Amino acid sequence: MMNGTWKVDARDGKLAMAHIYVAFVALALGGLAGLLQVLVRSGKFELPAGISYYTILTTHGVLLGLVLTTFFIIGFQFAAVSRTAGTLSDRVRFWGWIGFWLMTIGTAITAFYILIGEASVLYTFYAPLQAHAGFYIGLTLVVVGSWISGFAMFAHYAKWKKAHPGQVSPLLTFMSVVNMVLWLVCSLGVAATVLFQLIPWSLGYVDRINVLVSRTLFWYFGHPLVYFWLLPAYMIWYAIIPKIIGGKMFSDSLARMSFILFLIFSIPVGFHHQLVEPGIDPAWKYLQVVLTFMVVIPSLMTAFSMFATFEMYGRSKGATGLFGWLRKLPWGDARFFAPFIGMLFFIPAGAGGLVNASHQLNQVVHNTIWVTGHFHLTLATTVVLTFFGGAYWLIPHLTGRVMTKAMNRLAIIQTIVWSIGMIFMSSAMHFAGLLGAPRRSAFSTYGDAPQALEWIPYQIAQAVGGTILFIGIILVLIIVTNLAFFAPKGETEFPVAEVAEQAERTPLVFENWKLWIGIAVVLILIAYTVPFIDMIQNAPPGSKGFKLW
Amino acid sequence: MKTQLNTSTPKAKVEKEPALKGTLASVLFLGFFLIFTWVSVYFLFLNRL
Repeated sequence: MMNGTWKVDARDGKLAMAHIYVAFVALALGGLAGLLQVLVRSGKFELPAGISYYTILTTHGVLLGLVLTTFFIIGFQFAAVSRTAGTLSDRVRFWGWIGFWLMTIGTAITAFYILIGEASVLYTFYAPLQAHAGFYIGLTLVVVGSWISGFAMFAHYAKWKKAHPGQVSPLLTFMSVVNMVLWLVCSLGVAATVLFQLIPWSLGYVDRINVLVSRTLFWYFGHPLVYFWLLPAYMIWYAIIPKIIGGKMFSDSLARMSFILFLIFSIPVGFHHQLVEPGIDPAWKYLQVVLTFMVVIPSLMTAFSMFATFEMYGRSKGATGLFGWLRKLPWGDARFFAPFIGMLFFIPAGAGGLVNASHQLNQVVHNTIWVTGHFHLTLATTVVLTFFGGAYWLIPHLTGRVMTKAMNRLAIIQTIVWSIGMIFMSSAMHFAGLLGAPRRSAFSTYGDAPQALEWIPYQIAQAVGGTILFIGIILVLIIVTNLAFFAPKGETEFPVAEVAEQAERTPLVFENWKLWIGIAVVLILIAYTVPFIDMIQNAPPGSKGFKLW
Repeated sequence: MKTQLNTSTPKAKVEKEPALKGTLASVLFLGFFLIFTWVSVYFLFLNRL
């Protein structure tokens, strides 16, 4: 069924590439903002021309956390469904383009208001910080555009199912559908707060806002957002990496099961971001912490599955000893090396996540730069290195080119540079966080307080790491530009793994969407209904908007 | 021990489970690392009470 020589149709490739171009432009601009941030926080550099640190911070967070990720993911998924479930129909592709343009226009509007200094509300845009209405309207267009693209993918999947009754859908298509369902259900939360609270308030139609409701709706969206980033990386790990190394997938069913568990458990968990928030009963926080720990299960399943895939492959090549199989892996292939390093970084990233989600331990790290260090491991290393590794075959596949040996070598160097930079920056952030250094804030010695002075060496280490990471961004941009425009013409494979012979047959129950979405909705209702009623019925007076920058 | 992963034996159903000792060791290491990190920060929490 899955033939390794299948190509993504050129028209679908164009749609996917349009998304990928925007993603890498966002990486360039957002990365530059990140460099400026770490330099400011070292205390040795001041921004010129009165540019605010918080403007730069918002630019960095929005462009990398929202734009780079969403565009790369949707572009990659369009390519993946076209490759595995057949060429998109003209209608699906048309709506894909509508989604793309809405997202692009929305991004441009949002970026404009951030850059003119009217929306320095940080990436989390918490009320009562109040941005210009244009910032929220732009973000709304990004979300609506992504919904349209999601529905286009659902339509394509439904067409495949209709043409193949009783058959299990291709794994990458199934995974793309799960990820877009997750995105749709969770982004309803951010859409609700933006449309019904933030936009009317920023336009002056209402004076005051219920801060707790808006933060709760944000985190109803904000945590599954993390999984919306992570699941495409898992797609590459489960369904593509085994093919790249020359092996087979350990189990198709296990991969589908882990995606369904993410769909069910990753949404009713937002309170673990609000553990120190007053106004939420601790019993409800406890319930959501328990549900958060349920999400650990599919991640551990993924870790097991990856180790098993690598070991089975290594042993089939004659590896002996406990870890002899590691030596058989293709370390010189950047398509494998970059995502593999991403997987390794997910181990400390996951450990940090368990700390964040535990109520007492959260009090040690809450709102410290530990949290920033944590998501630079999860998103900015695990996910991003996997996306880079994916780009190394996806872009030449779509542009009809091949990656040269020199570019592959550069991509290996890029991965090493990224790892060194991140070890410096993220470790420094974790340690400074344990010593109480705040996240979000610009450089300050807080009146030469002894505790604040302790943070300075770590902040300098962050600047060193951030500078090395910026070199990593320049390298990846060189590679991506080469692959898109200058690499030699030729055929590059879109690798799709086959399942190992001894794996069990995949049951159809994984595609019983009514069942899985039903369970997800029930869990969301259980976790959120009572606390939500409480927040509205016992609300303090709402807050006016503040512009503190 | 050699697994039967890439051998072509379509007729006979593969009875043997693949040898995954390295995977077991790896996931155990992962589990210990998670517990170690959690306990370390928990003691930090207790120290600061």
